[in-house]
Amino acid sequence: MVISPERLRMLEIIMKLSIDNASRALSKTLRTGAKIGLSKIYMADFNATTEKMNNDTREMTGIIVNFKGNLGCKMLFMLPLEGSIILTDYYLRQPVGTTKEFNDDTESVAQELGNILASHISNTLVSDFNAKLLPEPPQVHNDFAGIIFSSLVLEQGILCDQLLLIESIFEICKTEISCYLFLLPELASLEKLLDAIGVQK
Amino acid sequence: MKRILIVDDAKVVRLVIKQILARNGFQVAGEATNGREALEKYKELKPDAVTMDIVMPEVDGIQGLKDILAYDKNAKVIMISAIDQRDALQESLLSGASDFVVKPFEDDRMVSALNSIFSKE
Repeated sequence: MVISPERLRMLEIIMKLSIDNASRALSKTLRTGAKIGLSKIYMADFNATTEKMNNDTREMTGIIVNFKGNLGCKMLFMLPLEGSIILTDYYLRQPVGTTKEFNDDTESVAQELGNILASHISNTLVSDFNAKLLPEPPQVHNDFAGIIFSSLVLEQGILCDQLLLIESIFEICKTEISCYLFLLPELASLEKLLDAIGVQK
Repeated sequence: MKRILIVDDAKVVRLVIKQILARNGFQVAGEATNGREALEKYKELKPDAVTMDIVMPEVDGIQGLKDILAYDKNAKVIMISAIDQRDALQESLLSGASDFVVKPFEDDRMVSALNSIFSKE
């Protein structure tokens, strides 16, 4: 499936609005800034993108959220394992360094941050673009970046070689934490959504 | 002291809500992690009010709200969710939710929602 440049441009604007909204919610939750360092939308080759992620050899915490509604979509929020430990202290309003290792609280904070991001992304798409979209409960995985990324794209990768990928990088202020946010919309339902709001093919 | 049942699948959210309740003169009646457990705990603990998340595994919060109100039509349930969508808000309020608080929230917002429902007694 090919998406026209005009449609890609429109999608980029729509997705930036929803990711901006999510980053504001993340900042409020953590009571520190979450700055978007990069945001882009592109048709990605399944194998090339997986290989790129395999080159990031850090151990990561990945939060995968599936959405239900008239726009099929998946979200992956991924940050370094040490970062998820620091964000646990931010979330619980305790001095950084209190949490020493990944534990039940860290997993629960990761789950809740995924829920906040996914909900606020869907809130914007629903209110501004007539989508019907609700997140399902987040799943938390600890593994290498490439393996977590593969588990996100595997299902779509089996169906087609090309993926529409929305990639953002968040930087958490006052920390060295840089996080990936991927959105992987299902192309057929995305086309219908664009048709419904009158975006030219 | 009013007793509150906290329903959320995330342990840290329950912890944060517990801390807010303790600081503001409420007692925690118990905790549940989905809508099904919420009904069981409601029957067992008979709390004065419930805080209910929406997105949860097995039985979601809107179904949990409906089940609790089917058991006790006078139950006081405050929805607390990051879902800020007209459909979810309408369904919650039409099903009988007492209030709807959007996450992330300031402590005062949740406390004022609780005080407001008890002031109507």
